[in-house]
Amino acid sequence: MVKLTIDNKVVEAEEGMTILDAANKAGIRIPTLCYHESLSSAGSCRVCSVEIITDGTSGLITACNYPAEEGLKVRTNSEKAIEARRLALELLMAQRPHSDLIQKLAKKLGVEEPRFTLAQRECILCRLCVRACHEIVGADAITFIVQGLDRDIDEATVVHSLEKCIGCDSCAYICPTKAITVADAGDTRVINTPGGKMEFKLKKCKTCGKYWAPEKQLDYIVEKWQLEPGIFDTCPDCRA
Amino acid sequence: MSEVIFSSWAGKVVDNRGQKGAKAEKLEFPLQYNGHQVRAFMSWNGFVVADGGVNIVGMAHSYLKEVEKLSCGECTVGYIGIKVMAGILDRIISEQGAEDDLDLLRWLGSGIKENAKCDFCASAVTPVLDTVNYYKEEYLKFIIGKIKPPKATYIVRVTAPCMEACPAHQDVPGYVELIRNRRYTEALELIRRTNCFPGVTGRACVAFCEANCVRNDIDSPIAIRALKRVPADLTSLKIKKRKAGKQKVAVIGAGMAGLAASYNLALMGYKVTVYDEQPSVGGMALVGIPPYRLSKDILEKEIDIIRGLGVEVKLNTRVGKDITLEQLSGEGFKTIFIATGAHLGREFDIDNRKEASKGLVDGVEFLRDFNTGKKIEPKDRVIIVGGGNVAIDCARTCLRLGFKDVTIVYRRSRAEMPGKKEEVEEAEKEGVKIHFLAVPVKVLTKGGGVVGAECIRMELGEPDASGRRRPIPVKGSEFVLKTDMIISAIGEAPDLSFLAGGEKIKITEQGTIAVDLSSYQTSVQGVFSGGDCVTGPATLIEAIAAGNRAAASIDQYLRLGKVTLSGEDKAGSMLHDIALSRRRDGGIIARRLRQSPEQLAIEDRKLNFNEVEKCFTPEAAANEAERCLRCYRVMLLAVGSEK
Repeated sequence: MVKLTIDNKVVEAEEGMTILDAANKAGIRIPTLCYHESLSSAGSCRVCSVEIITDGTSGLITACNYPAEEGLKVRTNSEKAIEARRLALELLMAQRPHSDLIQKLAKKLGVEEPRFTLAQRECILCRLCVRACHEIVGADAITFIVQGLDRDIDEATVVHSLEKCIGCDSCAYICPTKAITVADAGDTRVINTPGGKMEFKLKKCKTCGKYWAPEKQLDYIVEKWQLEPGIFDTCPDCRA
Repeated sequence: MSEVIFSSWAGKVVDNRGQKGAKAEKLEFPLQYNGHQVRAFMSWNGFVVADGGVNIVGMAHSYLKEVEKLSCGECTVGYIGIKVMAGILDRIISEQGAEDDLDLLRWLGSGIKENAKCDFCASAVTPVLDTVNYYKEEYLKFIIGKIKPPKATYIVRVTAPCMEACPAHQDVPGYVELIRNRRYTEALELIRRTNCFPGVTGRACVAFCEANCVRNDIDSPIAIRALKRVPADLTSLKIKKRKAGKQKVAVIGAGMAGLAASYNLALMGYKVTVYDEQPSVGGMALVGIPPYRLSKDILEKEIDIIRGLGVEVKLNTRVGKDITLEQLSGEGFKTIFIATGAHLGREFDIDNRKEASKGLVDGVEFLRDFNTGKKIEPKDRVIIVGGGNVAIDCARTCLRLGFKDVTIVYRRSRAEMPGKKEEVEEAEKEGVKIHFLAVPVKVLTKGGGVVGAECIRMELGEPDASGRRRPIPVKGSEFVLKTDMIISAIGEAPDLSFLAGGEKIKITEQGTIAVDLSSYQTSVQGVFSGGDCVTGPATLIEAIAAGNRAAASIDQYLRLGKVTLSGEDKAGSMLHDIALSRRRDGGIIARRLRQSPEQLAIEDRKLNFNEVEKCFTPEAAANEAERCLRCYRVMLLAVGSEK
């Protein structure tokens, strides 16, 4: 157990916890955007920025991936922390002004309108989809392409691989800015990503005739869990 | 001393504006590049102005545009922030700026500096912030006076402390990032641009990069070497086989330098023939590094790629004996690259060397014999004299061969040992004993065979030329160590006897081949040389780097008839010294422990030569790569005139 102070409150945290974990445990709310409790932290959006005082110096860090250290002093609502969050949200708003979530978070901090404009894009590169696809689904169908030295790309981006994608829609589910969307129509599922449209054939239930899940996803589950082939010939409703 | 008008370098502000003439100011680096006076310089630690005619706003704009290209996309504050700042500067220099823009730039800049995720953006904004703070009136000339920026060209260079420390200047942050995102094919492609032996160096490199990793000052360096092994082991590139071109180049020595040069030359379309006196390809990497550190099939796999490019290898051929340099010229080789390494063991000083006909062995020869498959009978006791990597390799090899009692005798203390620290630790864990501060002075023999060594204790005196404290014998401290064999591993030297045939290739006083170190040209037209035969015994990566650069020189020589050095090579120390600096200029970084790949258990290393270190799992590699702070540094130099 380590003891740290968050907003003047002494908090006990387990070894390996982040500041965000410790704050949550103590009932102190820190706003987040690219964080999900079931996934690893990326520290990408900077919305959970807090001020810490360590070895006598004050600085900013992101609560979602900074370890709760013994003796650490954390200020979640200091002028400095709030200003850091305002910066992150004003930047996000300039990039993706139509996201409800970003607007809501920004409003809470008094950011109404960004003072600068940018070419708008739906994806904010938070990589929740990349992490979900790797850590939960295991299909590893989404890659984060970063910019770098001698790299022939105009802009960092997140790319789906049609070959690896199983059409499960976890990415659309977790995307905080609706940059990835999914729609089922008839026997087809369409997943729209910033990189383009992908189509998946849906499986028809033998009993009721309803199209209920992508064939590719069902095949993936059968193979991964070594289930009997044909187990998904009927939908869960008809099986029950 | 350089004359500066203004400097904000490293947070120290020097302002000579408004005074008559520039004043000399002691900077950490000379303002010289490629023989030209640098008029202004901008990089992650601030900016320096030597010529008042340079338009600083225009320069800051160009600088930020370069920064924008490298901003990775990992975090909102860095990625979008830099973009917004660049947009504001665009606005200012195109007569659309407002005074508020300066406050905005300050607000964004300090926000990025304090809270970007990694070191790149956080540091990169520093000089731009400095220009806004100290050259505000220049910005106002654009905003209020609506002036247009002059046309200027700048020299741009991107590097990082790890890249600069690596002799081959590999793009370390680049491939570490690709490994983190599990993009192994691209990582391997990137590594191969500057290093055609990723698997070999991923195992056996000394990793100068790690020694200069910025994280040394926070917790511990990134495990760069072990990370490099991941794409090398987990993926392979389809490198197209090709037929060799027409123009011929001879390479003498099939070691790292010779092979790296061959690889590059073959890719450029030359027909390369490599000669080596050994029966197999690989040089020191093959005959010097034991398989528990570098499995032979890895080396073979990477050599096969080079052969696949049409490089022909002639083995068992010693130049100077089986074929002469003149004969090579006669066969139409207009250029020759000599990369024969340093394979001659140096003998240590003992009174009665001749008495011991058996049991006194040279370390390099010992490793060569073992690595080329000669049978070595293990004895009960062996002493290895020396403290470098060859000594450690001999000791650990002996242990695996079944020698029961393996002792290293080293004349200085642990702190001065040139062998890699981890190697020394592993050797000790495996059971190698080390006798510090002692040296053999006499071999004790019986019937021509070694039975012991009379040693003398040493104490450390004043530092010598190498900077290490000089060992001094302690009078009357002689003692005897029983042993059946003594391996001498106190250093190696190039064997240049093949040049004895009257060629006019100049040799240095140290017994190495003399070359111009930026072009690798020897004193004879068309003959180039690099690697250990030029530097004396060095490292794999230094040899690979020499091979790369020599290939570029040879290509120039064959195409243009002369070698015109690149500005970078000639520039010498200015950019190099600045780029090596590990000084950060960003916010707080969380301490996070370095991860190491799994190792073979000590009991599983006995009597076999299986690789001790395993490959990182993709998951562990991604976690370790996540620690990288991506310390790229953009450097912008104003050299020419502005119109």
